[in-house]
Amino acid sequence: MRPPHAGSLPPGPGRVIAVEAVAPERGAWLEVTARVEGDTVVEARFRAWGCPHFIAACELAVARLEGRPPGEAVQFEPAALARELGVPAEKFGRLLVVEDALRALAAAPPESK
Amino acid sequence: MSGPVYLDYAASWPVHPRVAETMADCLGPEGPHANPSSSHAEGRRAAQVIEQARESVAALIGAAPKSIVFTSGATESDNLAILGAARAGRDRGRHLVTSRIEHRAVVDAFRQLEHEGFEVTWLRPGPDGRVAPQQVEDAIRPETLLVSVMHGNNETGTVNDVAAIGTACRVRGVLFHVDAAQGAGKVPVDVEAWNADLVAFTAHKLGGPKGIGALYVRAQPRPALQPLQFGGGQERGLRAGTLATHQVAGFGVACELARADLPEEERRVRGLRERLWAHLQTVGGTWRNGSAEASLPGILNVGFAGIEGESLFLALDGKVLASSGSACNSASAQPSHVLRALGLSDLACQASLRLSLGRWSTEADVQRAADAVAEAVARLRSLAPAAALERIR
Repeated sequence: MRPPHAGSLPPGPGRVIAVEAVAPERGAWLEVTARVEGDTVVEARFRAWGCPHFIAACELAVARLEGRPPGEAVQFEPAALARELGVPAEKFGRLLVVEDALRALAAAPPESK
Repeated sequence: MSGPVYLDYAASWPVHPRVAETMADCLGPEGPHANPSSSHAEGRRAAQVIEQARESVAALIGAAPKSIVFTSGATESDNLAILGAARAGRDRGRHLVTSRIEHRAVVDAFRQLEHEGFEVTWLRPGPDGRVAPQQVEDAIRPETLLVSVMHGNNETGTVNDVAAIGTACRVRGVLFHVDAAQGAGKVPVDVEAWNADLVAFTAHKLGGPKGIGALYVRAQPRPALQPLQFGGGQERGLRAGTLATHQVAGFGVACELARADLPEEERRVRGLRERLWAHLQTVGGTWRNGSAEASLPGILNVGFAGIEGESLFLALDGKVLASSGSACNSASAQPSHVLRALGLSDLACQASLRLSLGRWSTEADVQRAADAVAEAVARLRSLAPAAALERIR
């Protein structure tokens, strides 16, 4: 089954932020696009290369971005996600790639007024 | 047609119905239930079944029956050959030669010998996955005791010129061991032509049961081997333990069946494998690992740009049963040591899939598998960042 949040967001209403975190040697590559209206992520999508655990973590994390301010992405806890998805310890490093992408999203400069 | 397509013959074959029938007869109330080492009539009957099977097993590889030692499988055969020959000959030399593309049963045996003080030269194959006879010749020293180079590789199917390697060893007085677990029963094997002293193979990769294999031990001159286990002195003192009559009988029938239609099956399976490769090339961004020319008939190892092996596995779940370019333990997802030795990056190893065909594979299987793989690859590529598709190959 294709993850519901897989894909990329084209330009449109609001501001589209695109971030990337890459660590192919760890088996993980993630691109996230988020549409922000006001101070809220109204829509988020991802493209990922990696194992099924990594793709599942991307889907869960990106789905949780929606409806929140982009700055809340820093609250993402890889350990909590690992527990939730039953990610084996040897794959934990891949979740740090998800964390890197979300931190980059949270750090994106605010919309100029 | 609703079940998954089984394309993992290199891992294990389904048991041939006639093998199962023979084994069931052995285990039935009228079967040869006595210990084949017993000297009474029932023991002799069981021993007769064993010796008949030994003839069939020997005939498959062009050997004399007395040169066959039954074991629990190819892993034990490889261990007995390598550890046994090295330990028995340690006073004559402590240098050994093998390659980086051997099965773990061989690799780990040599690593054990390194712990025991032997020096091992690990040969790197060429880009086609083959170990050149010249490499072996160059590696042999006066103190070299044993060379071990596999016949057909279990991951890529690439076949080494073991006859030329065996000649190089023979003229230098070095023992030569061959892991033939993949090739026996699929292509003609002639241990005499190979100049091999020790050849390991197994039943479950040619339609026999798991748990039974054989080690060919040249009869004349017979290489010295130190046994790995001790007990009743069975198998000429090389492998103690009561032989499992039903397993041995099943192995014998599997060898007879394989030998009976080997040329036709080799042609048929090779044709199916090439049709599968032709289908998969239409997916785009594919490459073939190992040699297409010098290869076992049933193994195809393919890489798909932009694909992660474990995800491909999951995407194929329930449709195609195959093996990945990672180690058996998917949790560790270690890249294959064989593909790495061919010069592939870790990412390319993980983007690779081994599809292996055998006796029951059909044209319809090939089409269904190719369709399923194409669909899964397209789906995963549609998920991946565009830049990853360029980089992951």
